[in-house]
Amino acid sequence: MTFRQARWDEPNLWDLAPPSAHEPPPSIPGVPDSLRRKAGLRWPELSELEVIRHFTRLSQMNFGIDTSIYPLGSCTMKYNPKVSELLARRAGAAELHPAQPEATVQGALEIIWRLERLLAKVTGMPEVSLQPAAGAHGEYAALLMVRAYFRDRGELEHRTEVLLPDTAHGTNPASAAMVGFATREIPSKDGCVDVAALRAAVSDRTACFMLTNPNTAGLFESEILDIAEAVHGVGGQLYYDGANLNAILGITSPGRMGFDVAHLNLHKTFATPHGGGGPGAGVLAASEHLAPYLPVPRVAKTGRKFRLDYDRPKSIGKIKSGYGNFGLDLRAYAFALAHGEEGLKHIARRAVLNSNYVASRLGTKLPRPFRPLVKHEFLLSGAPLKERGVRTLDLAKRLLDEGVHAPTIYFPSLVEEALMIELPETESRRSLDAFVAAFERALADTPENLHAAPRSLAVRRIDEVRAAREPLLSWKDLRARAANVEAPAPVAPAP
Amino acid sequence: MVRWIPDEPGEEQGLLDALGIASADELFRDVPKKARIGRLGVGPSHEEAQVVREIDRLLERNKPYSRFANFLGGRLACRYAPAAVDAIVARSEFYTSYTPYQPEASQGMLRALFEFQSLWVELSGTDLANASLYDGATAAGEALLLCRRIHEGHRFLVPASLPWEEKSVLANYASGPGLTIEEIPYDLRTGRLDLEFVRAAAKAQDVFGVLADVPNGFGHLDEGVPQLKELLGSVPLVVAADPLSLSVLEPPGNYGADVVVGEGQGFGISPSYGGPLLGLFGCRKEHARAAPGRIVGASVDVDGAPAFALTLQTREQHIRRSRATSNICTNQSLMALAFVVYASVVGPRGLAALQASLAEKARTLASALAGVDGLAAPRFDAPYLGEFTVELKDVSTAEFLDRLRRRKILGGVPLADPRPGAATVPERLLVAATDSVGEKEIQKYAHAARAAARRSP
Repeated sequence: MTFRQARWDEPNLWDLAPPSAHEPPPSIPGVPDSLRRKAGLRWPELSELEVIRHFTRLSQMNFGIDTSIYPLGSCTMKYNPKVSELLARRAGAAELHPAQPEATVQGALEIIWRLERLLAKVTGMPEVSLQPAAGAHGEYAALLMVRAYFRDRGELEHRTEVLLPDTAHGTNPASAAMVGFATREIPSKDGCVDVAALRAAVSDRTACFMLTNPNTAGLFESEILDIAEAVHGVGGQLYYDGANLNAILGITSPGRMGFDVAHLNLHKTFATPHGGGGPGAGVLAASEHLAPYLPVPRVAKTGRKFRLDYDRPKSIGKIKSGYGNFGLDLRAYAFALAHGEEGLKHIARRAVLNSNYVASRLGTKLPRPFRPLVKHEFLLSGAPLKERGVRTLDLAKRLLDEGVHAPTIYFPSLVEEALMIELPETESRRSLDAFVAAFERALADTPENLHAAPRSLAVRRIDEVRAAREPLLSWKDLRARAANVEAPAPVAPAP
Repeated sequence: MVRWIPDEPGEEQGLLDALGIASADELFRDVPKKARIGRLGVGPSHEEAQVVREIDRLLERNKPYSRFANFLGGRLACRYAPAAVDAIVARSEFYTSYTPYQPEASQGMLRALFEFQSLWVELSGTDLANASLYDGATAAGEALLLCRRIHEGHRFLVPASLPWEEKSVLANYASGPGLTIEEIPYDLRTGRLDLEFVRAAAKAQDVFGVLADVPNGFGHLDEGVPQLKELLGSVPLVVAADPLSLSVLEPPGNYGADVVVGEGQGFGISPSYGGPLLGLFGCRKEHARAAPGRIVGASVDVDGAPAFALTLQTREQHIRRSRATSNICTNQSLMALAFVVYASVVGPRGLAALQASLAEKARTLASALAGVDGLAAPRFDAPYLGEFTVELKDVSTAEFLDRLRRRKILGGVPLADPRPGAATVPERLLVAATDSVGEKEIQKYAHAARAAARRSP
């Protein structure tokens, strides 16, 4: 397939209609001059059509799931069903202020309540809250809960450590640090947690071990029950990072594996759109002993009425305003309702089938570290390309020229020149075969072409180092630079 | 089966054959038997039409604010967004894309985010902005952590009038590094911050930051806020500002704020029962490397053509891990897109005119409520824009609001912390003039309030 992305020489908004005068805004009676803007907001005055054309053109210079297969490992870039978009825009969903009386939001509370019950079943944990805005936000909230739990038990003084595998998502150690824990990495063995190393590392200092299963190498941690025993044996808590839940839906669950607390990403497993980097929607699931610490309020049901329960004396309090990202919870509920029991189980089977199929095909082209059976994603190493003077980065850029989004690259770091590839359940065999063919073409291309890629997109390879060295972060910076270039500093006047 | 999972006859069998296995069950042989589960018990699958019927049935039980005379505000706004905003946000090239880690394939979103950052810089008077945080409250939390990175100390001062939710969010952010939050008292007549308290605290050498909000938690403006930085000297100042107010008010960066945060939902994003929202975050250039979240920078490609990419990434969790400036990964990019489209469609004059019109309605509302027995409206003698605080003398806020709701009026946002055991406070609510109310709704409110504010016989 020949692919050519739109290439608009589209000016920045402010260059479409450079704003000139900045007259102060009209004065508002009662507002003293000391508080008033002295100059009006510097922003262009554009017609609605100009704005629409500008952003429509920008959209044409952007890959999305709807334009391209998106095999990003760890991101679960599955189809975002259109019906969810339709429903989230209903007035009964969009036009609700969180301070509305409970009597006027019974439907919203019921949707939250139902989705929480459904996710309790999926996670095998008794209590669920939809309050986190994203996965990392869920990690942070869960660790606040773990800390509060140990404080109540009088163990916080010595439980200062969070352990995590060296393959963990970067958010895990960052969240642990934000909550005030020290972090310590457990080495991997053949792509999985080295259980002997874990046993040697756990102690009465251990607050928590954070793990994603299947892990970021795409491997199921088969020794999970021993891991749980090792962590619980020293009184620690086991945390489930649900980024990779898609692979095990209905097969196993965090609760059954022995986890005490978990987060899920509705924007992965439950198909809410990623939005160019957000919004997401996080889920907190907790076992009995941690549930009292969940954020307030909780949605409760009394008779046929739903209400917000603030009477949770052990709660960690609030982690954001409002009750989570309801607009996304609604989309996720529509997705779950459509799938039901059989559909959710089918997701795991098909996603794992898709990834293993593509892994087996591409595994003949590039080395695959670790054992062959994977779950939702798999790793390849681009190390052999180095003989030809080519890097994984070049291969990724060359894939873009095929109209295919690149996989996740250089993560996890224990694999040299890593490519992390995930094929969710919504990809047909035809699109999997097309992806394999594109990958093979990219791989077979000359080093010159690989270095020169991409050539079919709105821009060619970007100088990211320069962007970091001389940061230009806004229009204000661009103006300052233009002023320096075009109007050099005036010569000092003669004395 | 569900249509979204491809199901051509023989398709899955073909994949199994290619792998040389008989059934997909074999793909899970590495999951120990003891960890397997049986039925989830989540019910059957549904056709798309059934899903729509069922969810619409649930949504019928909601009463959207558009069916009421609506006076709800606070940090979130019930405000009309031109249809053009959703036309862009609903373009699936945007909403189905991921974080632009492959910049060449994501120039559209990167440019939109760069324009968004530029807009917040102009509104807030800062030097740089990030590409969004979760919401206004978490943006304030991240600002607190930034202050600690750039200044010594263990006390962070916030207005006593700050909404309880934000105090609770901030307390959690402060708790990680073991920092304390202290409340700045306010003048009982005007709601203004006690500047003497701030001056004394700043001298004590152990304050690492101060937060003030515009408008404040009571909806009012505080003439002392622009003087704060002078009192604080090198102690960082964070201002949490409503973006619409900044179309008419002096940008906080111009009076020395080190960080300016805000809730951006009012610009083209429906409230959706509290999310997704939009955290705005801008700061001075010298704090760039201490800032949280993704930042888009301008660069060039190998041909020298303008191009955009995520930059200063060594601050972030995927590189710096436990030493990152924040754990945030997924942010609110699509909402940032809505924000910049909204402001560009409405335009700078349009924004100022909208703020002026809401302020005029609020003044009409205040005069209509002024004569109602049992109400102090506005409670504080201080300037305001689109909202103000009302205090009830004879009935509880809950009772008052419930009586109004029966008359099809959403009367305001209660200010008290609803958690049992929270400190008792006066019966106060924040009343906003939304863009959907006119003279008729205002008179309706005043009329209904006369009965509603009266003690039950």
